[in-house]
Amino acid sequence: MPLAAGAVLIVAIAMFPSLAPNPYILSSGVIVLNWAVLATAWNFVGGFTGYISLGHGALAGLGGYATGLLITKADLPSFVALIVAAVLVAALAVPIGFAALRVRGASFVIVSIALVLILLLVFQSWSSVTGGSRGLVVPRPFPGMLRPEHHRVFFFLYGGLLLLALATWWLLDRSRFGMGLKAIREDEDKAESLGTPTFAYKLTVFVVSAAFTALAGGLYALWFGDLDPVFQFSVLTGSYIVLMALLGGVRNLYGPVLGAIVVGVALEYFKVEFGNTPLHLVTTGLLLGLVVMFMPDGVIPSLTALVKRLRKREDSSIREVTAADLAEQRKREREAANS
Amino acid sequence: MSEIELVDVQAGYGRAAPVLRGFSVAVPAGTVVCLVGPNGAGKSTVLKVASGLLGPRSGRVMVGGRDMTGAGPQKMLAEGVALVLQGHSVFREMTVEENVLLGGYTLKDRTRKAKRAAFVKELFPVVGERWHSLAGLLSGGQQKQVEFARSLMVDPKVVLLDEPSMGLDPKATSTIFEQVVRMRDAGTAVLLVEQNARRALETADLGCVLDLGRVHISGPAADLLADPQLGELYLGGRPAEKPPAV
Repeated sequence: MPLAAGAVLIVAIAMFPSLAPNPYILSSGVIVLNWAVLATAWNFVGGFTGYISLGHGALAGLGGYATGLLITKADLPSFVALIVAAVLVAALAVPIGFAALRVRGASFVIVSIALVLILLLVFQSWSSVTGGSRGLVVPRPFPGMLRPEHHRVFFFLYGGLLLLALATWWLLDRSRFGMGLKAIREDEDKAESLGTPTFAYKLTVFVVSAAFTALAGGLYALWFGDLDPVFQFSVLTGSYIVLMALLGGVRNLYGPVLGAIVVGVALEYFKVEFGNTPLHLVTTGLLLGLVVMFMPDGVIPSLTALVKRLRKREDSSIREVTAADLAEQRKREREAANS
Repeated sequence: MSEIELVDVQAGYGRAAPVLRGFSVAVPAGTVVCLVGPNGAGKSTVLKVASGLLGPRSGRVMVGGRDMTGAGPQKMLAEGVALVLQGHSVFREMTVEENVLLGGYTLKDRTRKAKRAAFVKELFPVVGERWHSLAGLLSGGQQKQVEFARSLMVDPKVVLLDEPSMGLDPKATSTIFEQVVRMRDAGTAVLLVEQNARRALETADLGCVLDLGRVHISGPAADLLADPQLGELYLGGRPAEKPPAV
């Protein structure tokens, strides 16, 4: 099933640029894929460990700024800067995670918001390096390329990054490491008592998540070409990411992608139809409320559960079975097979 | 030699008066030892000390003859002491397979882990039958068996069971005690704390009556069951006594 859905996703990514009727739709596709990568990267922490981070927008902002500064200040080629920036953000995620992951639940959420606000202040005030409130202009990697072609190339780059993030999540989900992470999500103390090195696991997956988030942020910097600290270090970005993952289904491989498509398209629609009004905020807030009330596990898990209920599997009984019952049952099965 | 032995243990919580006041018990290999006693006697505290969750204020905790006093739960697990907590402690959103394999998380050797998994599936048939089901969808008794199977993954010397029949109906309770005997027969010693004292003593080899943090009396479980005074005091009367004829 995951492989079939993956094949559908690959075909959709491959075909979308040719089917997009105009460059605006194509650029919207790039934005939606950016959201999809961010939400999938968030799902490494939120989905596996259950830690809800509203600070992932800041990690994307760090990736964007690091990429831009490595190009403008260190004269690195664009895509080398992108990779180096992701490595730097991953390294920075170690002390951040070391401090933040010591607390759980609501305390972790508050720490993650504090991260965004602190970085906003730093990047606004440190204008000699970051450009402050004037922002940072990032040189385009393909200077002579026309806009539609530029969007098409970045759409495929984002598509490749999304598939890489999904493949990594899928592999983790099947690994011993992933099993330990899921145990942390269920009951951290119990997981620790069974020998799972909980803190090391949380920190490792946080670093992996930060690296993918930084790659998405860096790619955005290369595509958009202009960074403003108010937008790069916004709690709203983290909130959208959480909404997307919740809507589609955390703990699910494709949940955040589905959520990113729904919310990302809705956000673009509201911008076009209603301009710079707070209506999109009201609508997304309403959507978040509805999701939490009616589909707390998200769309994909809710639909999967519905299908299972409709099928009414035979093995759904939870009747107590003793060893004697089972021996009798097996005897009957053997007799039926022999006759 | 005993698999685990608590010697003259004093233990308690915070600055409060000690719950255990010079408590001693030994669990020989291949036996089920049952701790019974009234509420507040300190039964669960014994298991907390034995599993490393609570350090004793004085006294010793010996595992296989080695002094492990003060060792934490992970170290005690590595030494072969596994704890099955009171109530239901399965990972509800994970499959039975994942729950059981988590019990062997510290095992690095895949072949050994696979062998242990096959062993516990054989020992607890329901676990094998429900291998791919979500643990949260199982009944209380089945969940308890998953916990038993999980605790046996590391091939422990002794399993500490805290109120395994809590909240279960009579049929599920019977299944649970049946599985305790199977664990013992498979070579694992069991230290059992149970409110259902009569049923637990019927299952156990040795019994120990705990009151006010001390051993009131101990000996073969059958002897304790036969003692009329103990029956009146701790086992809720004697079932052999017939009601007076009307």
